[in-house]
Amino acid sequence: MTASQLEATAKSLRETTMPRWGMVIDLKRCYGCYACVMACKVANHTPPGVFWSRILKGEAGSFPNTVRQALPVLCMHCDEPSCMEVCPTGATQQTDEGIVIVEQDKCMGCKYCIMACPYGARYSVEKWESYFPEGLPLSPYEEFAKQAWEEKSGCGVATKCDFCRDRIAEGREPACVEACPADARIFGDLSDPNSEVSILIKRHRGEVLHPELGNKPKVYYLAPR
Amino acid sequence: MDPKVDGQIQTEWGWLVAIYLFLGGVGGGAYTIAAINGFMGEGLALSTRVGLWIGFPALLIGSLFLLADLGSPARAILAGMKPGSSWIARGFWIITVFMILALLHLALYLYTDIGGAVLAVIAGAGIVFAVLTMAYTGILLGASKGIPFWRTGVVPVVFVVSAVVTGHFTIMLGMTLFGEAAAMGSSLRTMALEAAVLVALEVLVIAFFLQAAFKLPDQRESAERILRRRSFVVGYFILGLAVPLVLMLVVYGSLAQDGAAISLPLVAVGALLGLVGGLILRQSVLVCGALPTLNIAGFQFRRVARPKQRKPSMGMLPPQ
Amino acid sequence: MTSATQNRIDEDVWIPTCCGQCYCMCGIKVRRQNGVVTEVSGNPDAPSGRGHTCVKALASPHLLYDPYRVNYPLKRTNPEKGLGVDPKFVRISWEEALDTIVQKLEECREKDPRGAYFQATTTQASEIRFGVIGFMKGFGTPNYWVSGGGLHCGNGAHFMNGIMHAAWSIIPDFAHCNYALNFGCSKGHGAGHVAVQNATQAADARARGFKNIVFDPFQSAQASKGHEWVPIRVGTDGALALGLINSLLNEHGIYDAEYLMYKTNAPYLIRPSDGRYMRDKETNKPLVWDLIDNGPKVHNDPSVTRVEYEDVAHEVALLGSYSVDGVECRPAFDLLKEHVKKYTPAYVEQVTWVPAATVSRIAKEFGEAAEIGSTVTIQTSKGPKKIPKRPVATHFFRGTQGHVNSGWTCLSVDLVNHMVGAADTWGGAFGLGAAVGSGYEGTGKPYQIPYPCPDGLMVAKTWVYDHVPYPMRVPKPPTRLDLHDMFPTSIYNAFTITSPRWMELLERFKIPYKPDVMINFGSNSVMTMGNAEAVTENFLKQFNFIFSFQLYITEFEEAVADIVLPDACFLERYTPAVSFPSTFSHPQGEDDWGWSIRQPVVEPLYERRDFNVVMLDICKRLGILGKYYKGLNDSIGIRYGGDMDEKYKLVEDGSVEHSWEDVCDRMLKDRFGEEHGLEHVRQKGVFTWPKKKEDVYWKWFNPVRVPVYFEYFIDSGEQIAKLWDEFGGQDFFDLDWSRFKALADWHPCPTHTETNSEYDMHAFYWRAVMHTNSMTQQNPYLDEVSQEDPHVYGVQMHKDTAAEKGIGDGDHVWLENPEGHRVKGWVALTDGIEPHHLAIAAVAGHWGNYMPIAKGKGTFFNDLVEMDLPHTDPLTFNQDICVRVKIYKAD
Repeated sequence: MTASQLEATAKSLRETTMPRWGMVIDLKRCYGCYACVMACKVANHTPPGVFWSRILKGEAGSFPNTVRQALPVLCMHCDEPSCMEVCPTGATQQTDEGIVIVEQDKCMGCKYCIMACPYGARYSVEKWESYFPEGLPLSPYEEFAKQAWEEKSGCGVATKCDFCRDRIAEGREPACVEACPADARIFGDLSDPNSEVSILIKRHRGEVLHPELGNKPKVYYLAPR
Repeated sequence: MDPKVDGQIQTEWGWLVAIYLFLGGVGGGAYTIAAINGFMGEGLALSTRVGLWIGFPALLIGSLFLLADLGSPARAILAGMKPGSSWIARGFWIITVFMILALLHLALYLYTDIGGAVLAVIAGAGIVFAVLTMAYTGILLGASKGIPFWRTGVVPVVFVVSAVVTGHFTIMLGMTLFGEAAAMGSSLRTMALEAAVLVALEVLVIAFFLQAAFKLPDQRESAERILRRRSFVVGYFILGLAVPLVLMLVVYGSLAQDGAAISLPLVAVGALLGLVGGLILRQSVLVCGALPTLNIAGFQFRRVARPKQRKPSMGMLPPQ
Repeated sequence: MTSATQNRIDEDVWIPTCCGQCYCMCGIKVRRQNGVVTEVSGNPDAPSGRGHTCVKALASPHLLYDPYRVNYPLKRTNPEKGLGVDPKFVRISWEEALDTIVQKLEECREKDPRGAYFQATTTQASEIRFGVIGFMKGFGTPNYWVSGGGLHCGNGAHFMNGIMHAAWSIIPDFAHCNYALNFGCSKGHGAGHVAVQNATQAADARARGFKNIVFDPFQSAQASKGHEWVPIRVGTDGALALGLINSLLNEHGIYDAEYLMYKTNAPYLIRPSDGRYMRDKETNKPLVWDLIDNGPKVHNDPSVTRVEYEDVAHEVALLGSYSVDGVECRPAFDLLKEHVKKYTPAYVEQVTWVPAATVSRIAKEFGEAAEIGSTVTIQTSKGPKKIPKRPVATHFFRGTQGHVNSGWTCLSVDLVNHMVGAADTWGGAFGLGAAVGSGYEGTGKPYQIPYPCPDGLMVAKTWVYDHVPYPMRVPKPPTRLDLHDMFPTSIYNAFTITSPRWMELLERFKIPYKPDVMINFGSNSVMTMGNAEAVTENFLKQFNFIFSFQLYITEFEEAVADIVLPDACFLERYTPAVSFPSTFSHPQGEDDWGWSIRQPVVEPLYERRDFNVVMLDICKRLGILGKYYKGLNDSIGIRYGGDMDEKYKLVEDGSVEHSWEDVCDRMLKDRFGEEHGLEHVRQKGVFTWPKKKEDVYWKWFNPVRVPVYFEYFIDSGEQIAKLWDEFGGQDFFDLDWSRFKALADWHPCPTHTETNSEYDMHAFYWRAVMHTNSMTQQNPYLDEVSQEDPHVYGVQMHKDTAAEKGIGDGDHVWLENPEGHRVKGWVALTDGIEPHHLAIAAVAGHWGNYMPIAKGKGTFFNDLVEMDLPHTDPLTFNQDICVRVKIYKAD
C-alpha cells in the first residue's frame, strides 16, 4: 500500500468504522535480510539487546533436502493479549484501533507481561546502554537516541512494538513495512474485507503463530509456497 | 567453548523474584502451621510463637525483594489496579491482607490476652490468606502464557507443598535457635516426622511435575535443562530433599526413647538444607523457563544460541 | 516521535542522497533533526532502490558518529612497519600532512611519476572515477588496483560479461523470467550489484511463480528461496555449465538457431589449420555460409543480416563442412557442439557431484522453458516491434568466478543463455547494470549504444575503464608495476606484486622505476586480498611512503601507513555521478533511468575532508591542476556516455580553479542541460528520464554479434606469449598460455587436485547481507544483527562431518591449508551444507586495535588465500578463493 492510499483508507474508515490494524508477512517473499530489524531499531532508538522487530532463522530437513527459512517476528497486537491480561497496573492497554501499547507512566516494571507473551515480543531495559564501549562520551546520535528512547519508551518499564503509531498518524506505514526490500510486509485494516491484508490472508490462507493459545494475534503469515 | 546465551530462555526473573517467591512461601507456610498449631493447644505453643514470628516478617522482607526487582518501584502502589485479570494485582491484595492479618495475629498473641472467638476468626482468616499466598506464587507462574514449563498444571501444587515444607523447616530452625532443648524434645520429634512426611510428599509432587513436563516439546526442553543443572540436582534433590528426609527420620528415630537428648545441630542442619533447597527449586524453575518455539510451515524457529559476547573493550582510539 | 520529542525538535528534514556502504549505492533519504543524522530510509524517487534500502544503509548513523573514526590527520612515528607493529600515530595538522604528502609526491615525480601507486576500494566506486583516475592521468602513473575487489570478484566476470553483454554482470529479467539457473550468487537475495532493487524484483518474481534453481555448496539465502537447491562442489560451476550446454545441444537437440545465426559468431567459418576465421580475400571480413545461395558471404552482407527480429534474411549454416577457396571450413557452432561432447552428464557428475540425471533433467527443463521461437510485441519509440520471448536465464557472480578457471567458467555459464537466445531480450539474461541507453532526450547523453567492430562483434560504448573489454588491447612491453600492460584479458593481478621476487621481476621486465608512494583510498588490502603476511611483507613494505584516506585505522594503516587522512564518509560529501556508469550498478528492466548524486547531509565533522576535495588540493600544490582537470575531462567520455562539451569542460590550462562542487555542477549540466545542474538535481537527489523499451530489450535492435567462439584469444595468447618469452618470464612464472584458446573448458583448482587426504575440507566464503568488505563489522548495529544470526560469524559445517571429527556446536577450531596458514573460528553446525564444505561469511576476523567492535568477530578467511600462480587463473588472473583445509579443535 502506498502512503497516500493508506492515508485515504484510514481517513475514510474513521468516518465510518474504526480500522483494526494488522499485518501480513509473506514468508515466500522474505529472504531474511534484517532490514526490518534495523529500520525498527533506528526509528525507535532501541538500546542493545532490544529487538521490537526480530528475525529468527529456522532449518528443516536433512542434506540434501534441507530448507532454511527466516521468520520475522514482532508484537502480534493480539485481540486478546495475554500481556494485557496479566498487567497489574493497567499500563498495558489496547487502543480502539487494536494496537497494544504500554503507558510508560503507569508501568512499574514487574515484567510479568514479558513472561506472559508467548511471542517474546516485550522487553525491559533497566538502564540505557551505549552501543560503544564504557567510558566514551556519547555521540550526538546516541545522545539523541537516548533521549528519544526515554521519552517514548523508558527504562525500568516494559517496552514493545507499537505498530509505529506516530507514523500511522502521519499517514505513513510502520518502519519495518516501509523498509522491506522484498515487500514482504503488508500493513492494513483487517476489518475491511477489501484491504490488501484481508485479501492476502484469504487468498493464501494466512495463519497466525500458536493459534491454540487463544491470543488471537493480528499478524498473519503466508507460508512459503 | 564460550558460555552461550540461549535466546529461548527467559532472563528477566532471577534471584530477586526467586527469593520473593521463597519468602512468600515460607511466610505463608510458617504462619499456616503456627495458626493451626495455635488451635491445637499449649503443647505447641513454641512452634506457634516461632511460626507467628516468621509469618509477617518473611512477607515483609520478601516484598522488599519484589520491590527491588521492579523496574520502577515508585509506581508499585499501582500494582493492585487490575485484580480482575492479573495475578500480580490479586497477589498485591492477598499479600497485603495476609500481612495485616499475620501482624494482627502476632500482636494479639504476644501482647494481649485476647483469645477465643476473636482470635479464632483472625487466625481463620489468616490461614485462608496464607494458603492463598502460598498458592498465588505458583498460580502466578502458571498464568504466564510465554513459558510453557510454568504452565504444566501442577506447578501451584508444587509451590504450595514446598511452601508448607519450607515453612515447617523454618519453624523447626527457629525452635532450635530460640527454644530450650529440654522443653522441645517431643514436639520436635513430632515435627521431624511431619517434616519427613511432607518432604516425601514433595518428592512425589516434584517427580510428577517433571514427568508431566516431559510430555510436550517446549516443556520438555525446560525439564531437561533443569535436570542438567548441577545446582538443582545437588542443591535441591540431594541436599534439599534427600538429606533432610534422612536427617528428619534419624532425629525421629533417635528420640524414640523417653529422655533421649535431642541433637539440635542435626535438626538445624536438616532444616537449613531443606530451606536452601526450597530457594534453589524456585530459582531453577525460573531460570529454566523457556519461550515456546514458534512453528510454521514445518519449521521450528528458535532464538539463536551464540557465544556470549562481552561488551566490547575500549581498544584504542585514534589520537584526538 | 512522541509529542515530547516533537516539541524539542526544531529542524526535521530529509535529505536525498546515496548510500556508500557498498557499491550498489542505493538512493536514500537521510533524516536530520537538530543537526543530527537520526534515521535513513529509501528514496522512492531513485530507480536505484525505489524507496527500499538494506540493513547497512539503515545502520548509517553509527558510522557517521563512531568515536573510532579518524577525525584528524595522523602521522606514524614508529618507522617499523608490519603486522602486529604499533604504529605510534600522533595527531598532526592538515598543513603538515599535505606538506609531507606533496613533498613525497614531488620526490616521486622527480624519480619517475609512475612510482605512485593508487589503491582504492570498490565501495566508493563513484568517487574513484574522479579523484583516482583524474590523478593518475594528471600525475602520470598507470599503477592502480582495488585489492580484493576485482581479484576476488571481477577479473573473470566483468571481462566476460563486458564482452557478451556490455555490462558488469548478468541478471535475469526478473519481471518476465520463468526459470533461472543461479550459480551460487546472491543477486536478488541480499548482495551483488543493484542488490536492493534486485531483491524487490526477485521477490515479485517469486510471488508470481518464478523458479530459481540454485547451484550452491551450501543453503545460502538464494538456495533457501529457490525452487530447487542443487548442492555442487565449490569451483566446478564451469563444468556444470558446459555439461548443460552439451545436454542442450547434443542430448536434447535444443538451441535457438535464429539467434545463433544472426546475433553471434556461431556461423563464422573457421579454418582448421589455425582455428582462425576464414576471411574474405578482398574485405578481410569473416565469412559465413549462405544456405540459400549456397556460398560464402561476408558476415554483415545484407542478405544474411537480421538486425531486428522482423527483418528477413537467408539462413546461414551452423553445422557441417563447407569448402571456401579449397579449404574445408566449419562454422564455429559446429566446433563448439563437438567440443562440449566430452562434458557428458556422467563426467559432470564426477567433477561437480551433481547427479548426472539432474544435469540432463535441468538442461531439458531450461531448454523447454526457453520457449524458443516464441515472441512478444513491445512498444518502442518507433512503434510496436516483435522480439523473441525467452523467459529463462543463467546468472552467476563472485562465488562462481573466484577460481583458477575463472574466465572460462564465467563465459560457460553465460553461454548457456546464448544457446537458447535468452540474452538481452524479453525474460532472458540482461546485462547488469543496465548497459544500453540512447540518453536523455534533451542532450543525447549518456549515449551508450554498442556498435560492431569490423568483424561484427560487439564493442561497448561505455565502460568502467578506459579500455573496453573488446577488442583486446595489444600486449605491450610493460610499464606497470604489475606488468599489466602485457595482459589484455585481465584487469589486475596479484601474483606479480605479492611475489617475494617482485623486485627481481621488475628488473627483468625492464621496468625502470620502483614502487615509491602508495595512495590508499578506503581499501584495507591487508585483509581483503589474501594471506596478510604475504601482502604486507612482499608488496606493501616495498613502498617508501604510504598515505591513506580512511574512515578508521584499519589493519592496513596499523601495519604500513605513514600518514592517515580523516576521510569524509558518504554522508559528508558530494559525488556528481553515483548510479552511473550504468554498466556498473544501475537497475535493469523497464523502470526509468536514474542518475543519482550524493550530497552532504552534514558538513564533514571534526577535520574530516572529502577525498575529492583533498585530491584537488594536492594537485594544486603539485602544480598539476590543469593536467588533473584534463584527466577528469578525458575519463568522462568512456565512462559516462560521451565527452564533455567545450562549454562545460574543466579548464585544462590551469588558469581557473574549479571547486569540487563546480566539477559536479558542470558534469550534470553537460549531461542534462543548463537548467539541470547541481542545484536542480539536489532537490530529489536524482535525475530521471524514461527508458526506451528498445534499450531494455536491445539485442534485436542492434547489429552487434557476440562470440561463442573466441577466435581472437588465440592471437592474444600468441602475442602475450611472445612478449613474455622475450623478457624471459618463464624464469619467474610458468604461465599456461594454452588457456588462450577459442572454446571454453573447465579446469580444476588446487582444491580439486589436492592429494593429501588430511586436507579433506573445501572452504570458501560467502556474502552476508549486512557486511561489505572489511568495514561493516565495526558498526555496532550491524555487529549486533550478525550475532543474532546463527551463521554469520561462524564456520558452517555439516552436523555429520563434525560428529565424525568430534567437533561440537560452538567449538573453537583451526582451519589450516596445505601451505601451513591457518585461521581460527567457531563452528555453527547445520544440515544445509554439502558435507565436505565449510562456509565462512565476509571479510571478518579483525585483529586491529582501533576497531574494537569488529575485533575478534568472525573468521579471517582470506589468510588462507594464496596469491601465487597456481592459485591464479592463467586467462584473466583472477584469484582462486576456494581452499582445501583440515579442521581441528583449538584448545
